Amino acid sequence: MSTLVKIKIDEKEYEVPRGRYLLAICQENGIPIPTLCHHESVEPWGGCRLCVVEFRKKRWDSWWTELATACLYPAEDGLCVWTRSEKVMKARRTILDLLLARCPGSEVITKIAAEHGVYQTSFAKREGEDNCILCGLCTRVCDRVGARAIATALRGALKEVSTPFGEPPPDCLGCLSCAHVCPTHTIGHTEADGKRTVWGRTFELVRCSGCGAASVTREQVEYAVRTKNLSPEYFVKCDACKRRESAATFAGLLFDERKGGEGPVGPTGSGPSHE
Amino acid sequence: MSNVLIVAPDRCIDCKKCELACSLHHAGSLDPDRGRIKVLNRGVEKGMPVVCLHCDEAACLIVCPVGAISRCDETDAVVLDETRCVRCKACLAACPFGNITEDRVDGRVLKCDLCEGAPMCAVFCPSGALVTRSGPRPLRSAP
Repeated sequence: MSTLVKIKIDEKEYEVPRGRYLLAICQENGIPIPTLCHHESVEPWGGCRLCVVEFRKKRWDSWWTELATACLYPAEDGLCVWTRSEKVMKARRTILDLLLARCPGSEVITKIAAEHGVYQTSFAKREGEDNCILCGLCTRVCDRVGARAIATALRGALKEVSTPFGEPPPDCLGCLSCAHVCPTHTIGHTEADGKRTVWGRTFELVRCSGCGAASVTREQVEYAVRTKNLSPEYFVKCDACKRRESAATFAGLLFDERKGGEGPVGPTGSGPSHE
Repeated sequence: MSNVLIVAPDRCIDCKKCELACSLHHAGSLDPDRGRIKVLNRGVEKGMPVVCLHCDEAACLIVCPVGAISRCDETDAVVLDETRCVRCKACLAACPFGNITEDRVDGRVLKCDLCEGAPMCAVFCPSGALVTRSGPRPLRSAP
């Protein structure tokens, strides 16, 4: 059994591995498919429904086609896919209409909707400040990172992404992965004076012992040391200071042997270590 | 067998062409800050190129929570898959040599990937401080 199968996308033939998801195939071949909830670091989810495509299987009658989310539909032999058919565009317009009603203030949604010819929603606009589309990407990435600090809470119209009991999350690492992957950039966070605030919790950033620069939280460092068995020494200094140190070490190793030492190393002028 | 990037700091003349070549190749702009290789000054016209060592037990690879950093089978390089990266900056903090940096312009994580086996820095190095040589990766199974 060959692992490569022949499929047709928009009347063009492709040879792809069996079981590969249609969205991945389209992205590899430069076929544009809009998506909001997809991220390579997590399994596909089919949350936003925006990547719907129309398809027909080999054994089906020629007039019988169906819609499915490309991110979750695996390739099989003889599959025919249309990514921009009338049926697909109609479904996408309806989804965008609903998304626009949910978060009228989102620039990302407004832009994609305008590209599909939806300039205003035909539904009642939701009142609220956030632009969450409940795609669940933040919670999935948080699970993947290992923190599992956030999840969707409640059901139906009240459903929301929340921390346990709506309080500052005890398991959060403050890594801001959720905020980075959020398709509508709605997860608010601030960073000032070596403190980072996200999900209502304030984190202390680890300051470099050399220059005071900070990039990760103490919780992130503790998590990495605890679960990945890395030396805490690695996290004491920032990347620039570590780079200077390693340059000085290598210079010391190299030039001590050959010429008995060289000039100062690094912009700060700290000399090579003569050990 | 794969290409090996060899760094010879005694030949480095601190011209920083490698930084420019790297940023042009990866970011599309001539901005040394966006390069994945850095040259530190160690005297007049003497530089010390600092670039990812592609460690056998790479701390960045171990610490990445989403598996975005992996070892490339073909080039033996430790590479970052930017589509998987969630920008938690754990690798940046974990690298013991400080060879992973952050792009000030768009916040991406910058990590040397040996340009899929043909490092641009070596192509543009005028003094022979950075050269590529084909052969097995040295120190691969050293204790």
